[in-house]
Amino acid sequence: MVQAESMLEANNLSVIRSGKIVLEDVNFQIKEGEFVGIVGPNGGGKSTLLLTILGILSPAKGDVKVFGHNPQFVNFNGKVGWVSQDAASIPTKMRMTVRELISLGTISSKNLFSFRRGKESSAVEDAIKLVGLEDLAEADIGRLSGGQRQRAVIGRALASNAELLIFDEPLVNVDRSARNGILKLLDDLCHNENKTLLMVSHDLTAIRQSAHRIVYLDGQVQFDGQPSDIPNLSGLAGLIGLEHVHSHAHKEED
Amino acid sequence: MKFSEFLIEILFNDWFSLSNLGPFMPGETFPAYFEVEMFQRALLAAVLTTVVAGFYGSFLLMKNLALMGDGLAHVSFGGVAVGIVLGAAAPLWYALIFSVTAALIIHELQERDLLTGDASIAIFLTGMLALGLVVLRIWGQGITADIEGYLFGNLNLIDYNDLDLIVSISIISLVSLFFLHNALLATTVDAIAARIQGIPTRWIGLWFSAAVAAIVVSMVQVIGTLLVTALLVTPAATAQLVGRSFRECMVLTQLIGITSVLLGLFLSSELDTGAGSMIALVSAIVFGLVLIGTIVVNQDANKQRID
Repeated sequence: MVQAESMLEANNLSVIRSGKIVLEDVNFQIKEGEFVGIVGPNGGGKSTLLLTILGILSPAKGDVKVFGHNPQFVNFNGKVGWVSQDAASIPTKMRMTVRELISLGTISSKNLFSFRRGKESSAVEDAIKLVGLEDLAEADIGRLSGGQRQRAVIGRALASNAELLIFDEPLVNVDRSARNGILKLLDDLCHNENKTLLMVSHDLTAIRQSAHRIVYLDGQVQFDGQPSDIPNLSGLAGLIGLEHVHSHAHKEED
Repeated sequence: MKFSEFLIEILFNDWFSLSNLGPFMPGETFPAYFEVEMFQRALLAAVLTTVVAGFYGSFLLMKNLALMGDGLAHVSFGGVAVGIVLGAAAPLWYALIFSVTAALIIHELQERDLLTGDASIAIFLTGMLALGLVVLRIWGQGITADIEGYLFGNLNLIDYNDLDLIVSISIISLVSLFFLHNALLATTVDAIAARIQGIPTRWIGLWFSAAVAAIVVSMVQVIGTLLVTALLVTPAATAQLVGRSFRECMVLTQLIGITSVLLGLFLSSELDTGAGSMIALVSAIVFGLVLIGTIVVNQDANKQRID
């Protein structure tokens, strides 16, 4: 049964960073087709978890398996897509069009040396369409709004035909009006394009509204279940300070 | 026969007969760059290093490492000093070893978060320069005259040994960039995403560092260690002011770089100044003019929008 296959799993995962235990005995699974949101306070280990899933940090105990393999030793060649916060990922001193950025997603170890990218160009056009940037394909990414740039970065991950998409705070540099558009896009990717999504966000409202499952991470997994199962999630978050961070972020946008 | 000798023969006499362009060139002394062998060497070295530096400089600029070239030039100079003291026939080979080693060490230290920030890189690089100067002072009395050529460039004195080194570094850099530019660009834009995609970002980083270090060495005689940045970064920075896409910036970088070099050579030969400093000055002036131009154009556009 394909549906039951777990795309990503953490088993008794502990990670130590600069002598401090950041993650302790973390267990969870993500199955194909799921949309999982990870929330938690700052310092709760969200980015540590992402870096471990990506194979950049190594576990002190336990393990992480992506597609059944240890991400530190396996090259997924585009099967995993990483969507970073756009502002952090695109150098400011560079001119580049949306199409140029998205086409970077097609490179992997298999076509590292190729310079004619004919076969990949259809994947690029599909990705541009999927993220709705057809009209802006030749625009300089430096002149796009936060929401449009975030779409371009998502498009880059889609161009590799990734099955598992990992989002790190995709809504941070996006204003409120564009935010719902991005969430709609994520929803589409999950339901119409059969992508599996893992999203880390401060935006509890967004996660509650779109994710199938919420993992609340504060060093350990404090909660793992459907959004509706914890009516007092915001209470829990408020206690630890998450909601404060969340409302603060919105104030800055306004 | 040296490889570069063969290349000069092909370019200026055999197939391309660039020497025929001489009579059409303006000025009294400038045509010599097309007609006289020692100046032909200078022209080839200047244009070739400008092309290579333009491509790699664009990536340095995007990585926010504009001053890396300057730092590596310091190290190269230290290498040259050590080479001279040891009585090397071609001190540039010492510069090459120094520069590439330093670049690889810096890259590894940065990757491991052991060396961060401009300051520590600057300290590391000036330390290598200081080593060269101390060595020169202790053992190298009376050979300071040679040193000047490496500080400010001695383009017109490049011999076939030097030119061989310059041509080899340029060709290897260009060919490797041709095959790896997409991977390098992806790594530059987002190293984590590139790594997840399956690009060997670690090797790309090492290759890029080593290539830049070698390119800096190839530029030492053309423009001088003090002025390396003028060819490495200035044309690319000028292109970023007006280009709208990566591809466009690459083309503009080359146009601006080659124009600056030819204009610099022309002015230096007619006004009898140092070639390296004149090339650097011209490329800085071009940057200034384009900057002013873009400011004026933007203001006009804003005005029209208001009207």
